[in-house]
Amino acid sequence: MKNEIATNRRNFLKAAGVAGLGLGAAALTSVPKVAGAAKARKIPKTPVSLAAISFLTGPAAGPFGIPGDNAYKMMADVYNQKGGILGRQIELKSLDEAGGAKTQVELARKLILEDKVDAILGYISSGDCKAILPMSDELGGLILAYDCGTHVLMEGEKSPYDVPKFELGFRTAAHLGQDNIALALAIKKYMPNVKKIAGINQDYAWGRDSWHIFELAIKKLIPGVEVVKVLWPKIFTTDFTAHVSALQGSGAEIIHSSLWGGDAVTFLKQAMSADLLDNAKMAMSRGEPYPQEVGPDFPEGHFLCCAGTHYFLYPAWDKWPLNKWFVQEYKKRYDKYPTYPSYHAFQAIASYKTAVEKAASLVGGWPTIEEISKALSGLSLETPSGYLSINKDHNAREDCLVGISKKVDAYPFPILDPDRLEVFPSFQVNAPAGISTEDWIKGWKV
Amino acid sequence: MGLIYTLNGLYFAAFLFLTSLGLNIILGVMGILNLAHGSLYAVGGFVAAFLIGLMAGGPIALTIPAAFLAAIAIAAAVGFVLETTLLKHMYSRALEYQLLITFGILMFVEDAIKLVFGGESIYASAPMDGMGAMNIMGHTYPKYYLFVMLMALLAGACIWWLMAKTRLGIMLRAIEMDRDMAHAMGIPMRKLSIFAFALGAGLAGLAGAMVVPTTPAVLGMGMDPLIMAFIVVVVGGLGSLKGALLGSVIVGLTRSFTIAYYAEMEMPLLFLIAVTILVARPQGLFGQS
Repeated sequence: MKNEIATNRRNFLKAAGVAGLGLGAAALTSVPKVAGAAKARKIPKTPVSLAAISFLTGPAAGPFGIPGDNAYKMMADVYNQKGGILGRQIELKSLDEAGGAKTQVELARKLILEDKVDAILGYISSGDCKAILPMSDELGGLILAYDCGTHVLMEGEKSPYDVPKFELGFRTAAHLGQDNIALALAIKKYMPNVKKIAGINQDYAWGRDSWHIFELAIKKLIPGVEVVKVLWPKIFTTDFTAHVSALQGSGAEIIHSSLWGGDAVTFLKQAMSADLLDNAKMAMSRGEPYPQEVGPDFPEGHFLCCAGTHYFLYPAWDKWPLNKWFVQEYKKRYDKYPTYPSYHAFQAIASYKTAVEKAASLVGGWPTIEEISKALSGLSLETPSGYLSINKDHNAREDCLVGISKKVDAYPFPILDPDRLEVFPSFQVNAPAGISTEDWIKGWKV
Repeated sequence: MGLIYTLNGLYFAAFLFLTSLGLNIILGVMGILNLAHGSLYAVGGFVAAFLIGLMAGGPIALTIPAAFLAAIAIAAAVGFVLETTLLKHMYSRALEYQLLITFGILMFVEDAIKLVFGGESIYASAPMDGMGAMNIMGHTYPKYYLFVMLMALLAGACIWWLMAKTRLGIMLRAIEMDRDMAHAMGIPMRKLSIFAFALGAGLAGLAGAMVVPTTPAVLGMGMDPLIMAFIVVVVGGLGSLKGALLGSVIVGLTRSFTIAYYAEMEMPLLFLIAVTILVARPQGLFGQS
């Protein structure tokens, strides 16, 4: 088993090292002058300074920040053991996202202007992303948003809009649009005659945006569906008993939810204890971590989306050894299976490394951040979840997995039923660059 | 569903009552507006969740008292340390100093919790799972929720007995009514201030312990109860046990029925009630003017 892991790690490192070169030729045409001018450039001996910013305190630390930060540390360590990036060791600054957008804006300013980090890989909060990504161009610093979900971050107000919105700002994961569209598609497949739906989403941008996109998509796909109850608990609610009863009273067959972290676990436990989930199916836009978090009592038959195809058992290990390596390495180090923020952290650091290597191969030395930015735009790379591509709007596109919970003997918690894994290709769940998600859904001919 | 909505409201009121009771004692007796009350609640939650996990598989009749008593004791001990080291310097200071120091304590205790228990959520649903559910007019209702209501009533009865029937309680009430006069009468202010703070902290710890079987112990878990407890204090009135009880029931029932019938108004309506009382009766329903 050890040899197998080692082999897979080698394969992975090879893959990560050369990933993106397939598109390198295309990118060559966009940076010919730079390439010519930089032939004699040297690779500095100093470490590459990367700031990894996630919630390390507060309620978002446990479910998101720490799994993300763990993956950053793991990958920096793995890369460093293999020579870093073009021989430069990675110096990872692991920083807390707590304190609100204003604090984070000040921190980003300091990191770029004073500490002169090579890149910021960060942010779980959509509010932080919206405040900080515009600073990338203002301060001249490369910022890769890795986990925040709001679809409006990279989109314009009216379609079509110009892309990219930010020259030096990227998001290396797809946004919440794909989760909610994929859920609606899965529901149409498995419950095409559903009549009554309800929603319980946190009362802030994440919850409101998630419900908005889901409602648009499900009404487009199943025109007769009726919304019977919409609830907006405030974030970090610890008592959902009133919400559970209200949902029971509504008679909803499907309950859409983008609840996360402790809120999701609390709601599920309280819903289970009142038998709500015996009569209604949950459709959780980022539900992948919760069977593991709730444990063996998590009920069967509920729709769980994976924020992409981020699942410890998908892609299947025999077909995609990189996922096997990632899961086993993470489990070995942290005694838990990686959840989607861990995969998102991989995507951010691997995207940076791959883009630097791609740009360096074109310019003949360590690239500038503008050159790295050009390499990132249009980049494609292998990740544990499959192929990731970063579009010309600087937002990543991924396929999206929706599964249905099922109890099996092999794991102490329900997994996604291997016979009912629905993978929707990225073009089916992500709007094209320049078209807003909302306008795109409205234009569907179902 | 009306009965279930009512029970849900009373269940939520039970937590509010325990949390606001401690806040009320500290504010009433000591005159300290304690923003760190939420972190004492979190201390109780984490201690109980940790112990429930440690005693997993054991009988809940043993797990529950062990976890709850430990949570009360440790939260009270943290309260004792905070009062004797930091807060004792704040009695004569202006309100803004109290707010600053108690907010600082809130941040500090949160980091201390992270240092001790780690940043990840701790799940401790065994007591709720172990108690099972009962059928109330065709609806499944967890027995643990009824247990919480009984515990809150029991704690309220104990505090009432302490404050109304014991010499200690009379002295505490004297401080609450007129701090200078109580001091002039020779009441041991220091000792009673320490006791009152530790008692309030212990009650916060109990509330935190009782909530973790229904929700994981997570960093920051004390913020929401703190805000709600302030609403209860505003509605019920400063230093009043009856006020804390009635305020909790008003807030709990209002929340439950609003969520059922007009969810968007949950928080606006609660704040509207608080604002109305502040304007019409600033001392709260049962507070002293």
